[in-house]
Amino acid sequence: MKLKFLIVTLLLFLFVPVCFGRTAAPEPVALQSIQADFIQEKHLKILVRPIISTGTFIFQAPQSLRWEYRTPVPSILLMHGGRVKKFIEKDSLLVEDKGMGLDSMQVVLGEISNWLDGRFSDNDMFSVSFPDKSTVLLTPKEQALAGMISKIELKLADRKGLLDEVIIFEGPDSYTKMIFKNRALNKEIPVSVFTDK
Amino acid sequence: MKSYTFCLLFILLFMVACAADPQLRLPEMTAAEERQGKDACADVFPQKNGGKWQFVHSIDFTMKDGSGTTVVGVTTLDKNDIECALVTVEGLTLFEAAFRHDKSFEIRRAIPPFDKPEFAKGLINDIRAIFQPPQGTKMQTGQLAGAASVCRYIEVDGSVVDVLPDIDGCLQIKSYNPDLILERSITGRSCREIGSSPIPDYIELKTFGRTGYTLKMTLISIDNFK
Repeated sequence: MKLKFLIVTLLLFLFVPVCFGRTAAPEPVALQSIQADFIQEKHLKILVRPIISTGTFIFQAPQSLRWEYRTPVPSILLMHGGRVKKFIEKDSLLVEDKGMGLDSMQVVLGEISNWLDGRFSDNDMFSVSFPDKSTVLLTPKEQALAGMISKIELKLADRKGLLDEVIIFEGPDSYTKMIFKNRALNKEIPVSVFTDK
Repeated sequence: MKSYTFCLLFILLFMVACAADPQLRLPEMTAAEERQGKDACADVFPQKNGGKWQFVHSIDFTMKDGSGTTVVGVTTLDKNDIECALVTVEGLTLFEAAFRHDKSFEIRRAIPPFDKPEFAKGLINDIRAIFQPPQGTKMQTGQLAGAASVCRYIEVDGSVVDVLPDIDGCLQIKSYNPDLILERSITGRSCREIGSSPIPDYIELKTFGRTGYTLKMTLISIDNFK
C-alpha cells in the first residue's frame, strides 16, 4: 500500500516546481495544464545499461492526471474527480490494476492541492532545499520513506518553474532519471483524457 | 439394491479422486542412445556459451485467485552466481539480491512485501529453474510420446526435471516432485539463437498446487558480455 502511495507521490512531484511559493525558487508560471513526453532511465549497479522507458504525462489543475508509459511495459495511471485508476498491459490488453491503494491516493491528492497553492514547503514528507538556482533537493523526513528514497533532485529548465529532469536516488548506485521534452503549457484538454484508457 | 448403488457410486468417486491429471504426472520416456540429444539440452542454458549474461524481462505475476502485478526483472548470470532485481514500471527498486554458487546470498534491498525470506527462496528457485542446468546426479536422454526429445535429470531425492530442447520451435522445462507430480513448468516461445542457445522472447512459468502462480515473462533486452 505504502509503495503505491510513494510511486504516485513521486510522479506528482513533476508538477511541484510550477508552484513554488519560496523566494529562493523561481517565480512560478500560472498553470492550468501541462503535457510532455518523458524518457525514464533506470540505473542499477548490476545493469549493463539502463532500462529505458518512454511515455507521456498530462496534468490539468486542480487534480487531473494521465501518466502513460508506452514502452517497455504499457501502463496508464489516471486521476480525476478524486478517483484514481491504474491500467497495465496483460496479454496485449490494458486491464485495470486492482492492487492500487486508492485510499492512499486521497492523501496524495490532498498534497498536490497544497503544492498548487504554493505551499510546497509545508510538505510533511520531504525537507526542501535549493543547492543552486536550477536545482531543488528533496530529502525524506520519515525514516520509512528514507529506506526507499535517499533524495530527489529536481532540475529546472530555463523557463521559470518548468522541469528538465527529475532524479530519484535510492542509494549510491541506484537511481531513476526522468527527462522531459516537448512540453506544452495551458492547452485545453478534454476530460476524457483523464477518465478513459 | 440401494446399498449396492451407493457402494458403486462411492467406488466411482474414489477412483476419480485418486486419478491424478495425466498431464501432471511424469510421462513415460523411451530411452535413446547414450549421447543423443545431450548437447541440445545443455544449450538450453545460455551459460554454456561462456561470459556473463544479463536478461531484462517484463514479468506479469498472477496468483491462482487472479491477483497479481507487473514488474521489470533483471537477471545477471556469471557462471553459477546470480544477481537479480525487481523494479516497478515507474522505476522503484523493490528487490535486489546476489545468490552465489555456494548457496550463500546477500539481500541488498527488499521493500515489503518482498522482504520475506520465502520470497527470496522462491525467486531464486524460479531463476535457477529457468537459467541453470538441473543439478540431477543422473541424466537420461530419450523421447516422449509425440516424439519430443527429452533429457531427464533425476535428483537424489527422486525428483525429476525434464528438459525439452526443441518443442514447438522453442523449449520446455518441467519439474516433478519425488511423487512424480508436476511442480513447475517453463514454456519458452519465439526462440532465437544466440551462440548455441535458444533464447525465448517469451517465457511462461507455472507452479502447481495450492499456492500456484504464473509468471509471464517478455524479454526486453539481453546482453552477453565478458
